[in-house]
Amino acid sequence: MIGESYDVTEEQDLVKASLDGDKRAFGEIVNRYQKMVARTVKGMLGDSVFAEDIGQEVFINLFYALAEFRGESKLSTYIQKIAVNLTLNEIKRRKRFFSMFSHKENNEMHEYDIADNDTEEKREAAEIVNKALLAMDPKFRIILTMRMLQGYSTKETAEILDLPLGTVLSRLSRAQEQLRSILIKL
Amino acid sequence: MNASEIKKLMINSLNKDADTSEAVRKLENEGVSYDFSQNFGNKVINKLLTAGLTVNKEVEFVKYMNFAFYRIALTGVAAIIILLISIFFMEGSLSLNSFLGLSDNYDESIICLLTGN
Repeated sequence: MIGESYDVTEEQDLVKASLDGDKRAFGEIVNRYQKMVARTVKGMLGDSVFAEDIGQEVFINLFYALAEFRGESKLSTYIQKIAVNLTLNEIKRRKRFFSMFSHKENNEMHEYDIADNDTEEKREAAEIVNKALLAMDPKFRIILTMRMLQGYSTKETAEILDLPLGTVLSRLSRAQEQLRSILIKL
Repeated sequence: MNASEIKKLMINSLNKDADTSEAVRKLENEGVSYDFSQNFGNKVINKLLTAGLTVNKEVEFVKYMNFAFYRIALTGVAAIIILLISIFFMEGSLSLNSFLGLSDNYDESIICLLTGN
């Protein structure tokens, strides 16, 4: 039985309560996973208002897809898959949009936010990470995001991206190659 | 961590057997963290509530349309039945000529008119 606070409530109970229309339970799911979604979406799209919109869309899609969640995989994996799909779709949409109006990719969309109170060293670290991420090919960027920002293993990455393990392994080494060449210039 | 250490950490996180959770922790310590705005959760819930209201309004509209359709359809069917009965009593049959208001005599009259006999 769910009490007043949802802080210690099991994931399955939160899902059940959300399906019964309890918005507070769904709010707790959002609280628990918003940082995880932010890492994927902002890592892939840069820290812009668009990323926040995609983040909201991830949870709205989750709300309507909760009925299909069978609990066979972790809820975090389920949410991560939605986030990855929406983010990659957004990148494709942007690419199509900009290819219609310009031959160059619009770098203005690649914004990132560095907190004012960070030290110079921390600012530099954030800048390197964000610049490198956004300079990468999206199919390698997603691999780096899953590994470096989310901490997933190769197997988990393959599961989330719906790719065979062999493909992920080959992309890991190609992503590493690309990252090396990008980091030399930074 | 200086720039070269960060770069090394990034490259190593793509090693097949790398301890990626360690990379995440180190990067967070270096201020590389991502989050949405403070009232992100409320924004999501508000969007859901708005979407819910829109869906409810759509459902109500469809309900009203169905109700109106049934009323119009029933009235139409009743009118057609009354029309058929009145034609039957007036013409004595429900043939095509009865529907068109034509009788055999009328056909003949047209022939007379056309041939002049």
